[in-house]
Amino acid sequence: MATESIGDRVIGWYGNVAMGSIDTNPDFVRRWLMTGFRLMTEKGKIAPDGRLYRSGQMGNAIFMDSVTRALGDKGGAVFTSIFCPNEIFHALGVHPATAEAVASFASGAQAESGFISFAEGRGVPETYCSYHRILMGMATSGVISRPLMLASTSAVCDANNLTFKTLARHWGCDHYYVDVPIDVTRESVLYVADQLREMAAMAQDCCHARLDEDRLLELCACSMRTDRDLMRTLPARRGRYLANSMTIDEMQMLDLHLMLGTPEVERMVHQMAQDYNQAPRYDGINLVWGHVTPYFVQPIASRLNTSQEAQVVASDMMFSHMPPDEGTFFSAERPYEFMAERVVRNCFNGPATRRAETLRRLADATDADAVVFFCHWGCKQTAGAAQVVRQVLEDAGYPVLVLDGDACDRANCMEGQMGTRFSAFLEMVGAQREERRLERSIR
Amino acid sequence: MSEASGRRGREGHIVLYACKYTPVELLRGFGATCELAETDVSSFDEADRLAHANLCGYGKALIERMMASDAHEVVLVSCCDVVRRVYDVLAREGRLDFLYLLDLPHKRGEAERRLLRERLADLARSYSAYAGTSFDAGLALAGVEPFVPRTDPRVTLLGAHATPPLLEAVERDLGGAVENATCTNRQLLVSPPPELARATSESGCDACEGRVGADPLEAFLDWYVGALLDQTPCMRMDDVAAREALRGGTGRRGIVYHTMKFCDYYGFEYGEAAREGDVPMVKIETDGTSQSAGQLHTRLEAFGETLHGTEVAHEVAAKRGAGTRGTYVMGVDSGSTSTDAAIVDGEGRIVASVILPTGARASESAARAKAEVLERAGLEETDMTLKVSTGYGRDAIPGMDTSITEITCHARGAHELAPDVRSVIDIGGQDSKVIHLSPTGEVVNFVMNDKCAAGTGRFMEAMARVMEMSLDDFCRTGMAWKHDVRISSMCTVFAESEVVSLVADDTPTADIIHGLDESVARKTATLAHRVNAEPPYLMTGGVAQNEGVVKALTDVLGAEVRTHPDSQLCGAIGAALLGLESLR
Repeated sequence: MATESIGDRVIGWYGNVAMGSIDTNPDFVRRWLMTGFRLMTEKGKIAPDGRLYRSGQMGNAIFMDSVTRALGDKGGAVFTSIFCPNEIFHALGVHPATAEAVASFASGAQAESGFISFAEGRGVPETYCSYHRILMGMATSGVISRPLMLASTSAVCDANNLTFKTLARHWGCDHYYVDVPIDVTRESVLYVADQLREMAAMAQDCCHARLDEDRLLELCACSMRTDRDLMRTLPARRGRYLANSMTIDEMQMLDLHLMLGTPEVERMVHQMAQDYNQAPRYDGINLVWGHVTPYFVQPIASRLNTSQEAQVVASDMMFSHMPPDEGTFFSAERPYEFMAERVVRNCFNGPATRRAETLRRLADATDADAVVFFCHWGCKQTAGAAQVVRQVLEDAGYPVLVLDGDACDRANCMEGQMGTRFSAFLEMVGAQREERRLERSIR
Repeated sequence: MSEASGRRGREGHIVLYACKYTPVELLRGFGATCELAETDVSSFDEADRLAHANLCGYGKALIERMMASDAHEVVLVSCCDVVRRVYDVLAREGRLDFLYLLDLPHKRGEAERRLLRERLADLARSYSAYAGTSFDAGLALAGVEPFVPRTDPRVTLLGAHATPPLLEAVERDLGGAVENATCTNRQLLVSPPPELARATSESGCDACEGRVGADPLEAFLDWYVGALLDQTPCMRMDDVAAREALRGGTGRRGIVYHTMKFCDYYGFEYGEAAREGDVPMVKIETDGTSQSAGQLHTRLEAFGETLHGTEVAHEVAAKRGAGTRGTYVMGVDSGSTSTDAAIVDGEGRIVASVILPTGARASESAARAKAEVLERAGLEETDMTLKVSTGYGRDAIPGMDTSITEITCHARGAHELAPDVRSVIDIGGQDSKVIHLSPTGEVVNFVMNDKCAAGTGRFMEAMARVMEMSLDDFCRTGMAWKHDVRISSMCTVFAESEVVSLVADDTPTADIIHGLDESVARKTATLAHRVNAEPPYLMTGGVAQNEGVVKALTDVLGAEVRTHPDSQLCGAIGAALLGLESLR
C-alpha cells in the first residue's frame, strides 16, 4: 500500500517489526504488540479524539481496555465467537475476546499479513474469513497464549465452528459449541438455553470459579436495559450529525457484543442517547451499513469519517438482535433463555431475508438515504446474501451498493476501485435526493 | 423451511439434493426419485448474477442446476453457509414447485435427535401435501443399501464434493480403484432392524406390529433419524473424531485430498492430515468446473508416480536395446517459458544439454531442442536407448518413449545437482512448487500453486511490464533497494494497482521491486510450510535467476536458499536419469 502520513509510516514500521519475529520469537511479538496497544489505550484516555462525541470516546476506551485486558492476561482470557452470550464469562470474572476484536488489533498495527501468511502456511485456506485467518495465525504462532476455554455458536458463519474447534485442538483446551437452530421458535430458544447451561458448567470448571447466578441475573438485566436503550437511539439518529467514524462504529459494535451486560456499555449507550439528542442537524447522506467496515480504505474513510458529506447511521452488526414488535418469548428474569433468544433472533442467524428485514427496519427508523452492503472477504453468508438483500431493500425504495473488499486484510482491497464505486454511489444517491427535494418544493 | 407452489403428478417426482444428510430414503417413501445435483458448466453466470462470485464452485453449480428448466423439486440441508444461501436465492427466485431447507443439527445427542426427528416429520408432511402421496415404508427401505466396509487396495478421494469429471480424472491419472469419500457421498452405516422391515412388508406381521407401532412413518423415523445422523460425519459436525477412520485402515494406499476455492471446511482437515497422516497424500484444489479438473493432470500423475514408482517403458527399451555406441538416455523438459534437453550416458554423466525458449508451439520447440542437444552430443536420435519427456508439454512431444511429471524429475535432478538438498523450490513461468525430499532424494511431499499467476515468473513479468522495464533490468534494479516497501497483494491484478499507486507516489523503483520480490518470497514460503519443507533449499526454475527473490526467500525462510548453474536443466536431467535408472 502506498503510505501517506507519518503516522501510517510509524505504524507500518511497528507492524513490520512485529511480523519479522512471528516465526522465531512469538513472545517478543506479543510483548511488542501489547506495548503499542497499551500506549494507544493510554493515548485514548489522556488525549481522546476531539472530533468524536463523548460516547465515541467511551466506545474507544472500552474496546481498547477490554481487548488489551484479554490479550494481556496470559492464560486468563476466554475466546468466543462474536455473538456468543458473554454474560456468563463476565459473571465468572474472566475476559472474553473475539476473532473480530483481536484481528482488528493486528490489522490496526498493520501486522495482519504476517499472521495471515503464518496461518496459510499451516493449511488455513486463502479464501477463509480474514478475521479468522488472523486469529489462527496469532494463535498457532504462539503470539496469543492458551486461553481458559473457547466458546462459539453456529450462528453467523462456518468459521465459528472451524476456527474454535481447530484452536481447541491446538491449545489442548475445552471448547463449547452452541448449536443454534434457524427457526425462531420457543423450542429453539429452550434448546439453546439448555446448551448455555452446559456451557456455563464447562466454564466454571475451566475458569476454576463458581458462577454466581444472582450476578448473572444482574448482568442479563443490564443487557436487556442496554439493548432497549440502544433501540431508543435509533430515532435520535434521524437527520443528526453523529460525529462517528468507521473505526469508532466498529469498536462500539464490538463493545455491544463483547461487553454487553456491563455497566460501562450501558453508560456508553446512555451517552449515545444524550449526544445524539443534542447533536446538530445533518444535511449529508445517511447510510445504513450492512456487515463490517473497511476502516483503512482511505477513499471511503475520507468521505465517511466525521464528515459532513456522508455518515453511517446504523449497522446490522450493531443492531443484530432487534426485538420484534410483538415482543420476545423471555425476559432477563430467565437469564439462559434470555441469552438464548438473543442468539436465535440474531439477524445473522437464518435466512438472508431476516438480515434484509433488519436493514430495512434500521433504514426506516433512521430515515436513511441508502444502504451499503459490504461483502467482507471470505464471508460466504454475506456474499451469498448480497443479491437477495439488494432486491428486498430496492423493493422497499432504498438504493443499495454491494461493495466487495476486506475489513482487516489490506491485500484484498483494491482501494482505487472501491473508492470509485463508493464515491459514484454517493453521487447517485445525492442526485436522487436533490431530485426528490425539488419535486417536493414544486408540489 | 419450505416453499411449495402448484402440484405435479406422482410421475416424474425427481428431487434434487446436495448434502449426504439429505433424507433420500424418506423422500423415496413418498415416491420421489432423488438425484444428487450435478452440472457441468464452464462458467457460473447465473450464480454470479443471483448470488456472488466468492462462493464455492459447488454452491454455484447448485444454483445453475436448480435454476434449470427441468428442476422442479429441491431439498437442501443447512450444511454450510453457501448451501443456506443457495436456498435463499432459490426461494427468492420462486420458480421451483417444491423447495425445502432441512435444518441439520451440528451435534448428535438425544436433544438433537429429537429436534431432527421433528424436522423430518415436518418435511414428510410438507412433501406429502405437495406430492399428494402417502408414505410407503417398503419403498423407503428398498433403497437402503447394506454397509460393507472396504478393504481392497484403493486410493481415497477425500474432502469437498467431487464433480464427475474430477472423479474420472483421478481414476484415469492414478489408475486402479478410487473410493469417493467426499462430502456429498452418503452412506448409512446401519441397516434397518428386521422388525421394521417385516412390519413394513405388505403381509405384515402381527407379532411385530405391536412393537413398531401402528404408523409406519413413525416407526421408520424412529430408526431413520439415528441412521442419518450417524453417518461418518462431515467437517461441519461438532464431533469429527470418526473421520480419522477415513485416513487409515486396510487397503488405503493413498489419499487425494480435494479442496474447493471458497469452501472453508476441508482445507482445515487437509492441514491436520498433512501434519499427522501416515498414508501418502496429495492436495488438489478446484473451483468446481470441469476445466479446473483438467488442470490437475500433473499433480495426480506425480502422485501416481509416488505411489507406484516411475513406470518407464521397459518394453521400449528392451526392444531397442543399447545402441552400437552405448547407452544414452535423453530427457526433454517442455516448460511454458523454456524447453530444455539433456542427454546422459550409461554412467549417468551429462553428455550434452540445451536450453531454448518455448515458442508458440511446444512440440516445435521440443523438436528443435532435441535436434540441438543431439548435435551437441554428436549423436543421432537412433543412438538413444530411451527418450523421456517431462514438463507441461510432456504429452505433446512426438517421438518420445514415455513421460514423467516434472515433480518427480525436478526432485531427481535436484538430488543429482546437490545431493544434500531436502527441499526444492521451483518457480517457473507457469507455476511454482515446493518439493520436500527424503535424504535419498525421493519425493516425500509436494505442493503447487493454484492456477492463478500469483508468485510465478508470469507475475514478475507482468510487474516488469507495468514498470516499463525488461525483466533483466527489473531483477538488477531491485538489488539496489534502500527502504522496505510492502506490497500486500499477490494477485497480479491487485498488485498492479498497488504498484501504480507507489509509482504515482514517487516511491523509488528499486524499493518497489524489492517489495515485489518479498511478496513472491512470502507466498512461496507459505507453500513451503504446507509440506513441512526443510533446509538445505535449492531453487530451480527461471525465477532462480532473480537474485532479489532468492535473497528475499533466504530471509523469509531463515536459511540459505541455494541456486545451481544448471538449475534450469533440473527437470531434463532428472528425466534422463530416471529413464536410465528404469533400465537397470
